[in-house]
Amino acid sequence: MDSHDRMLAAFVAGDLGMADARRWDEHLLECERCWRAVREDGDARRAAERLRLPPPPGLADQVRFAVELAAAAGTSPCPPGRRRGSPTWVRLAVGGAAVMAFLVVALVFVPSAGHGGVPPTVAAVARYARALPPPGTPLPVAVPPGRPAEVGHQVSVTAGGHRITLRTWRLGGVEAVVATSSHPFPMPPGARGASGTGMAWSARLGTVQLYCVNGRQSELVAAPVPAAELARLAARLPRA
Amino acid sequence: MTGDHREFLELTLPHLDAVFQVARHAARDGLDPEDLVQETYLRAFASFSRYRGGDVRAWLAAICLNAARSESRRRRRRPQEAVSQALLDVLPFGRADGRDQAPDVADVVIASLDAQEVSRCLALLPEQQRLSIVLMDVAGYTARETAEVLGCPRGTVLARVHRGRRRLAQLLAEAGVNHGQP
Repeated sequence: MDSHDRMLAAFVAGDLGMADARRWDEHLLECERCWRAVREDGDARRAAERLRLPPPPGLADQVRFAVELAAAAGTSPCPPGRRRGSPTWVRLAVGGAAVMAFLVVALVFVPSAGHGGVPPTVAAVARYARALPPPGTPLPVAVPPGRPAEVGHQVSVTAGGHRITLRTWRLGGVEAVVATSSHPFPMPPGARGASGTGMAWSARLGTVQLYCVNGRQSELVAAPVPAAELARLAARLPRA
Repeated sequence: MTGDHREFLELTLPHLDAVFQVARHAARDGLDPEDLVQETYLRAFASFSRYRGGDVRAWLAAICLNAARSESRRRRRRPQEAVSQALLDVLPFGRADGRDQAPDVADVVIASLDAQEVSRCLALLPEQQRLSIVLMDVAGYTARETAEVLGCPRGTVLARVHRGRRRLAQLLAEAGVNHGQP
């Protein structure tokens, strides 16, 4: 690009002073090449501007949730290269009902006091999540990727005198449980609270990572994945 | 980790729109733009304690482009990883099988502008020109911010964006797109 073209680029960017801009205005009346260049610049700029799309609804919440979870877990995010799971989406289509029925039976016998001081509602969710298949486990029927797919049926159980609703989602080859309750999920021993809020916490119980947001409707997300992975996963799951 | 995540979100979330525009055009090789946005924010949060002020939008865009590059390298090292066609369909680049999505010329003429065709032509530009246009014209960054993101002088950005726009206009004309005119 020669000095003439650099001046032209500065002119279309509105970078020139008044005197130089006036000289260029006059030049454009005489120079077909420069006039065409200015028109092309403007046409392409307008065309590119039309590529703007608003962010999808929920993206801000997804980002906020992921950051909040990373803060609560006290972890740095994994580079995406270390993500687990396969991009090939598969879904539990056969035998899901039987598995869920078994889990419901198991859960209703959750003792009223959790092991090791773990609150019974939290212990119930962790026990449920421990029964999930390991990340990346292939299942027989493929489903379109990119969105969470619900696995099996919604399950309601009672633990510690409180009713909990459990839904299982599969996303990116990983399954996670989202438990909801009208009562807050208490912090188990060793949990870390989200700074400043006092309402959210994260914890690890054995192989299961948990993240809880307590509010009017309390949510507890659980999956057999590392904390940073749960951040990515939980942020993309449907919220209650 | 401290309670500074709220400060971080307060500072960065207002720029989500700009980061999303950058991510849509930086995400390649089957990477989901929404995942890239989330990855950008998580990386930014992880390094927030080292952030010393400056232009937040430019900082986020630079992180976004770096994350896209590193993820693209990783995916190319693992070619066996299946790429979702559904995902590619929403991305502004050519299809994985190399066939461009053929536009319906009549629709293009009637509609005046086919965003998909503009995206395809934009993807044909050299990377630095393409990124300059994406940052300035699509995401709304200033020339100074774009220069900060790309690590080059502001005058270089202006030259690149001008050259890129001219080439883009020519490609659109060749494609029969009545570009830009409402």
